[in-house]
Amino acid sequence: RYKPPPSECNPALDDPTPDYMNLLGMIFSMCGLMLKLKWCAWVAVYCSFISFANSRSSEDTKQMMSSFMLSISAVVMSYLQNPQPMTPPW
Amino acid sequence: MKAFLAFCVVLLVFGSVSEAKFDDFEDEEDIVEYDDNDFAEFEDVTEDSVTENPQRVITTEDDEDETTVELEGQDENQEGDFEDTDTQEGDTESEPYDDEEFEGYEDKPDTTSSKNKDPITIVDVPAHLQNSWESYYLEILMVTGLLAYIMNYIIGKNKNSRLAQAWFNTHRELLESNFTLVGDDGTNKEATSTGKLNQENEHIYNLWCSGRVCCEGMLIQLRFLKRQDLLNVLARMMRPVSDQVQIKVTMNDEDMDTYVFAVGTRKALVRLQKEMQDLSEFCSDKPKSGAKYGLPDSLAILSEMGEVTEGMMDTKMVHFLTHYADKIESVHFSDQFSGPKIMQEEGQPLKLPDTKRTLLFTFNVPGSGNTYPKDMEALLPLMNMVIYSIDKAKKFRLNREGKQKADKNRARVEENFLKLTHVQRQEAAQSRREEKKRAEKERIMNEEDPEKQRRLEEAALRREQKKLEKKKMKMKQIKVKAM
Repeated sequence: RYKPPPSECNPALDDPTPDYMNLLGMIFSMCGLMLKLKWCAWVAVYCSFISFANSRSSEDTKQMMSSFMLSISAVVMSYLQNPQPMTPPW
Repeated sequence: MKAFLAFCVVLLVFGSVSEAKFDDFEDEEDIVEYDDNDFAEFEDVTEDSVTENPQRVITTEDDEDETTVELEGQDENQEGDFEDTDTQEGDTESEPYDDEEFEGYEDKPDTTSSKNKDPITIVDVPAHLQNSWESYYLEILMVTGLLAYIMNYIIGKNKNSRLAQAWFNTHRELLESNFTLVGDDGTNKEATSTGKLNQENEHIYNLWCSGRVCCEGMLIQLRFLKRQDLLNVLARMMRPVSDQVQIKVTMNDEDMDTYVFAVGTRKALVRLQKEMQDLSEFCSDKPKSGAKYGLPDSLAILSEMGEVTEGMMDTKMVHFLTHYADKIESVHFSDQFSGPKIMQEEGQPLKLPDTKRTLLFTFNVPGSGNTYPKDMEALLPLMNMVIYSIDKAKKFRLNREGKQKADKNRARVEENFLKLTHVQRQEAAQSRREEKKRAEKERIMNEEDPEKQRRLEEAALRREQKKLEKKKMKMKQIKVKAM
């Protein structure tokens, strides 16, 4: 009998978390870069990590790496432009 | 000694004189001119003094610089020097130089008074120049959070993989005895057993088994919790969820009769009824309690017909269901299985979705989140249930009445579907016709040649008249038939 399975279109419907997190990460890193907000850049790093943890094996590693690199560069750029430590909002 | 003192006094005097002049003029050129004038004063002095001029010039320049800096700044040394020279020289020699010499003194009382008014404020050094790690505590917190996330990822991934391996080890024998092909990822051209789980994700593992008499194949999916994602772990602390094992057996067409049937927890059945296409169409009643057949209260039944339930609930099945009720989430047999309802866009005519005869089982792994590899052994009897169900489904056949009912139901569903799509198809056809008309009209308008225009218009009119005539004929025929 036959083999295999399942390559359905369901994966995209079942769990959109990695895609959302990827998008969020990119948005936050762009905000962090443009508006020079350190906390945005840090949140972007977190988003890209979460996206990586939830990703499917069929997903492109290039995509993950690019979002990760973008968030790291956002953090580095924010600190180069303004080496002061982050101030909490309270 | 005295000569030295005299020399010092002279230097100081000239320094203060030049400083007075510096106060008035800030341009470099003017300062240079005044330097010359200063030197002019020296010219009348004796040779010794002349030879000393360069030195004095230099020194006076230095002194001038010193005096200007000292008087403008806050250093009090020069004033101290003034004091020293005064005490040493006595009052007589310092008298002619009062104005210049005591300039510093004039300032002194002012500065002291100003000091009393404005206390020195010590400004904090900005944080990034402090060179202390403590000011970066938020960054350190962030990095610690990231490290914690990475640690959790590694730990969670390992735990999931250990659980999957434990499950596979316990079930391997049973599977290999029932299926010829165990484990296939679809990459090889030939059907060879890989004997391994196929990892789709950090928390989902697949296993495809095939090569049994009545079924096309069986797909087992181990859906573990997302232990590798820290956010999920924290969310789970609020709301305990279990790992799940989902088994989907695809039957051959000839080996299963036509019925739709489901057993499971009430919650799960309600959810399935909403989501699944076939359950919502064929099983319209609410889930009934299974107590009639000896099942525990936690389980409910959804069925197309009573006969199916009767047939399915034989002693062995009831035994399985009662003993392992806590582990069973849902059991769903259907010949019209087409997956969950797909949300369609409006105005799109659709075909009936493809259906396959399937048996679906969803089991909860005991432990509700805190599972250990040895818990996987508890699932072995459930796999026995699956095998038994496959055989049962093959054997079970509806009697004539049941078959008729089933066929009627299916026909009804198809009709409803066609009606729905009919309306949509009509609308689609109408919109197409309208578009064609519009296109024709546009063509007619765009035709520059008036003759061609007339011809096209006439052709369009003729076509419309023909259509009207046809409709009239149809109406007449219908009327005749009705009569």
